[in-house]
Amino acid sequence: MIEIDGVSQVFQTSARQDHLALSNISLTIEDGAFVSILGPSGCGKSTLLYIVGGFVRPTAGVASMKGRAITGPGPDRGPVFQEFALFPWKSVLGNVMYGPRQQGIKRPDAEAQSRALIEMVGLKGFEDFYPKELSGGMKQRVALARTLAYHPEVLLMDEPFGALDAHTRTRLQNDLLNIWERDRKTVLFVTHSVEEAVFLSDKVVMMTRSPGRVREIIDIDLPRPRHRTELLLDPRYQKYIVEIERMFDDSGDDELR
Amino acid sequence: MNGRAITSDALLGMIPIVLLVAIWQALISFGYAPITLLPPPGQVFSRMVQQLLTTSFQQEIAATLFRLFTGFSIAVILGVAIGLAAAVNPTINTVVRPIVRVLAPLPKVALYPALLLLVGFGHESKILLVTFDALFPILLATYHGASTVEQKLIWSAMAAGTPPREVLFKVVLPAAAPSILTGCRIGLVISCIVVFLAEMITSTDGLGHALVTAARTFQAVDMFVPLITISLVGLILNGLLELTRSYLLRGFPEA
Amino acid sequence: MLRRAAPLLVCLGLLVVWQLASLVLKSDSFPTALEAIRAIPVVLGDKDSLVNFAASLRRMAIGFAVGVAISIPLGLSMGRSRAVASLFNPLLMVIYPVPKAALMPIIMLWLGVGDISKTLVIFLGVSLPVIYHSFEGARAVEEKMLWSGAAMGLSSTQRLVRIVLPAALPEILTGCRTGLVLALITMITSEMIARQSGAGNILFNALDMGQYDTVFAMIIIVGAMGIVLDALFERLRARLVRWSEPQFDIPLSFS
Repeated sequence: MIEIDGVSQVFQTSARQDHLALSNISLTIEDGAFVSILGPSGCGKSTLLYIVGGFVRPTAGVASMKGRAITGPGPDRGPVFQEFALFPWKSVLGNVMYGPRQQGIKRPDAEAQSRALIEMVGLKGFEDFYPKELSGGMKQRVALARTLAYHPEVLLMDEPFGALDAHTRTRLQNDLLNIWERDRKTVLFVTHSVEEAVFLSDKVVMMTRSPGRVREIIDIDLPRPRHRTELLLDPRYQKYIVEIERMFDDSGDDELR
Repeated sequence: MNGRAITSDALLGMIPIVLLVAIWQALISFGYAPITLLPPPGQVFSRMVQQLLTTSFQQEIAATLFRLFTGFSIAVILGVAIGLAAAVNPTINTVVRPIVRVLAPLPKVALYPALLLLVGFGHESKILLVTFDALFPILLATYHGASTVEQKLIWSAMAAGTPPREVLFKVVLPAAAPSILTGCRIGLVISCIVVFLAEMITSTDGLGHALVTAARTFQAVDMFVPLITISLVGLILNGLLELTRSYLLRGFPEA
Repeated sequence: MLRRAAPLLVCLGLLVVWQLASLVLKSDSFPTALEAIRAIPVVLGDKDSLVNFAASLRRMAIGFAVGVAISIPLGLSMGRSRAVASLFNPLLMVIYPVPKAALMPIIMLWLGVGDISKTLVIFLGVSLPVIYHSFEGARAVEEKMLWSGAAMGLSSTQRLVRIVLPAALPEILTGCRTGLVLALITMITSEMIARQSGAGNILFNALDMGQYDTVFAMIIIVGAMGIVLDALFERLRARLVRWSEPQFDIPLSFS
């Protein structure tokens, strides 16, 4: 269980002024839940994810996992970034093996596990390729495999499909759900796409525009495993999307007023 | 880019070089330049081949290469170490930045007389001058590369369980490698130039000294040979570094 | 405040270190910083050396100006035309590792020891970095910007002058900055080699005659010239290309 308790984040802008990015966020994420954080750009949703990851220390408040305060990054929380952040000097296999090797797993074992993961994300045959030789979608598959390879308890996904074209994006969403169905890890998923959030999540956390606050938490009560074609015809699915889209419009108005 | 385009590019590139040699030959053939001042290209090249086979000339090359490599190696070690340290440690950065700002544009060759007085006329003064001159491009390139490493690369490694003190060698150093190698390339050419000049200014051996000796006795042919040799040395070393670079950076885009 | 004063503090710190080192070493050939500074007015007060200095600077200015005037158009056309680039690239590659100041003895053989030889060598020294940076700058200009220009009816020469030149200006000026320091270095080095007149000559004459405080005073003068020239040019550059992204602010200088 991840608990975020009264977290605020202040950044200094280049003009040396304080900018309040997150304001007093409190949130509980149950084990095994797929939770999306949804909000307009600049609402600090990625910052919140970085705080859970331990990459950024909150200015106020505490984020904790299993009752222990988060003080830094650790292999129990695995990030997947929009920018992929693959090591360009390592092959696909080298990238995926990095985590297990850091955990002290012997090379042959690490390699066997990594090869299995690469196959699972659909990249069998690309083990010796370098990231530069792969398309964006393939790179993100490698990044996912690299993170899964060190068996994090929580996946922290920072707009992972944001840089991909619409078609690749849908395919990766489907594949992510399939992979997730196997062990139902806790997932914290940041996105600005309403459709993506509803399709993937058990719970959608709506945030307000800057400074980011929790505006609404919506439980998505749709059956799993989910199939896109079925959902698209499902009135409940459509209702969630319309409902959240309307809230989005509201928060836009807030900004203008 | 296909094979034919590369061949035609290479042919195009030969034109000015061939033209230069042709003009050189023509100047002599048509009597515009006396042979004592401008020896014909054929004579220079045959003299060069002949020289390359003599032990004494090989020793000159060896002396130059020894100074070049020693100075360059020290510059690489210092440059990479200081550059990395300044990129990751704010305190070191505050100290190193202004020092580099002052020392980088300093005409290092002006320090040569001081080096001569301090460490003597032997190898050391020349090696130190090479180090001083090659140091800054390598240091700056390393600093630049290391301070622009993508934050998320570091985060990814830390999340995978890399302890902070290992991040420097497991992420920052390899991620800065393209930049470091570019710096090394500039540093290497500078080393070639500087070692030759230092040998010309004062030395008892080396390629630069060979040129000065020839100049004192007005042996025009022998003046060309060391110059062409240092150009070849530069080209060969540059080529070797380029090979190393494309091997080390095979994963990087645009390597 | 501290940021601006930092380079001055560094200079002061270097002088202090020097002073302490010389006091510890107590060597005849290593005067203290104070002794060297005291010798500066003596050197600069000498009418002959002042005239020499002025002549050196004049040659340097001319060599730099001519070098820039020729190198920028060449570099820009190389950056925009593949044919021009492949025509000149190999030639430049061959010339690159040749120490320009080392050509001094040969050029002196042909053109004598006058101003022309010395200016020519400075010109050669300045050219390569300016060509290289103009080339890189022009190559990085976005194709679509040129398409817009063509759509507005600009001829290819107009596009080179009105689009490529300003777009590549930050990079060109970086090249000029390196070129400027190189002009100074080439000037000093060629004077050290030719030993006819100028700052480099004063340096080595003093060395030969054992006037060590003069040697070190000259080093301070030449070093200060490098740093001041570079700082002035950087101010000018920052003013001219205020619109561009702030870039890496320490120049790569070498001989």
